[in-house]
Amino acid sequence: MSKDVVVDIQGLTKSFGDRKIFRDVTLQVHQSEVVAIIGPSGVGKSTLIRCVNYLHPFDQGTIRLLGHELRGGERPSAAVLQDIRTHVGMVFQTFNLFHHLSVLDNIVLGPVEVKKVPRKQAVERAHELLEMMGLTDWAKAYPRRLSGGQQQRVAICRALAMDPKVMLFDEPTSMLDPELVGDVLEAIQRLAQQGMTMILVTHEMMFAKEVADTVVIMADNAIAEMGPAKQVLENPQTERARNFLARVLRNTPPADIPQAVVGGDPD
Amino acid sequence: MHVAWLYLGPFLQGTGVTLELTIVSTVVALVAGILGALGMIHGGKILRAVLVVYVELVRGLPPILQLFIIFFGLTQFGVQLDAFSAALIWLMVYGAGYAIEVFRAGIQDVSEGQWEAARSVGMGYFTTLRKIILPQAFALMMPELTNFTVLQLKNTTFVFFIGVADIMYQAQQGAASTEQPQVMFVMAALFYLVLNGGISRVAALVERRLTAYR
Ligand SMILES: Nc1ncnc2c1ncn2[C@@H]1O[C@H](COP(=O)(O)OP(=O)(O)OP(=O)(O)O)[C@@H](O)[C@H]1O
Ligand SMILES: [Mg+2]
Repeated sequence: MSKDVVVDIQGLTKSFGDRKIFRDVTLQVHQSEVVAIIGPSGVGKSTLIRCVNYLHPFDQGTIRLLGHELRGGERPSAAVLQDIRTHVGMVFQTFNLFHHLSVLDNIVLGPVEVKKVPRKQAVERAHELLEMMGLTDWAKAYPRRLSGGQQQRVAICRALAMDPKVMLFDEPTSMLDPELVGDVLEAIQRLAQQGMTMILVTHEMMFAKEVADTVVIMADNAIAEMGPAKQVLENPQTERARNFLARVLRNTPPADIPQAVVGGDPD
Repeated sequence: MHVAWLYLGPFLQGTGVTLELTIVSTVVALVAGILGALGMIHGGKILRAVLVVYVELVRGLPPILQLFIIFFGLTQFGVQLDAFSAALIWLMVYGAGYAIEVFRAGIQDVSEGQWEAARSVGMGYFTTLRKIILPQAFALMMPELTNFTVLQLKNTTFVFFIGVADIMYQAQQGAASTEQPQVMFVMAALFYLVLNGGISRVAALVERRLTAYR
């Protein structure tokens, strides 16, 4: 495994009970690389990234990250799990903020409880993160008072407060009203520019093309195609990838047809 | 002097007994309820089966029969309990059976996403429970928990059948030895209403605090 590979997924196979979700998924994520995973609903995109921080166990294959190796069918020790989860940030489609805690406490809780950071220091860091996300005024509010876009940016702060080495995003904008999508995507793009390593499940083709280094298309229980973002989105080589992209194109209202899919981007 | 005044002393003593039974058994039942609910939700097959049987027994058998089994039945096995201990144990056992169901529902009402978010920042099972799940579960369950405590207080009246000197017992004693038994029962009614009113007030205050985030 080359030195700058941060997440090394080899031959991953996963079922829920008798249902095979995907098989033999191999994927390497390098330092500061942004990998976007796209594909039809139900193909197992969320399941795949949730294996990375072991929210789901898997049947076969290995995931190497942060000096640990997760093996299919073997439950890792609590210490390994905690180390991985401490250093892998996750942002959910449905935000999943802790409803009963203020925005500030949502961000501070992980560092204080898990990393044993002194509260005062954690609070300072939380304020920095909130400022970066343009949420300075919301520190004391409860999450449900915030718009979806604001909640998702708080969720990003909560993950970043742990100083993660890798960030996982599971369709972070798909629950948002269209006018709120921009702020969240901007925040993710900024992270990418700062060199954060991330794996991002998304339906935003334009965004994937612009921000991702690598695009992975999943179809029929496996990776259908994977490669440099532009190449995969503009000039897919496999039948299954072409089918998927064609379907996305057909289902997208004309005004919103992503450039990436049309292939109309001049450069 | 009015007969009510004469019996105020015994009634206050009875109130002490009723309150002690209610408070101690409710606290124990709530703790046991949380543990039992966690066993139901996350425990292994055997533990779950044992808990299901327990809950079914508590719910299925008449309260008075349960109390008699503990007070009279256990003597067969050499367990000789005084009336107060038997009363307290029965209220704990009985309350726990219902509390398990209340907490099971309450904990399961907190969305799976809350567990996942807590796990994703590295929190372990018990930290997640303590910091994330239980505070939200309590907020969701406050109406049921208030109701539970009120019922627990009312259930203390069964202990008068084994001679524990609670409010009901004092009322019965008074009724038997005065010309005006109805005064005694009205007094008992007032005492229970005041106590339950107090429970509701305290619960309302707690609920307001716990649900501030909604
Ligand atoms: N916890 C679970 N238990 C059983 N089946 C599950 C579970 N989670 C997901 N699945 C199933 O696994 C399949 C893949 O789900 P997954 O959420 O990974 O798909 P996805 O590609 O992320 O889809 P979407 O684009 O709709 O989010 C689906 O058929 C889903 O019903
Ligand atoms: Mg998904």
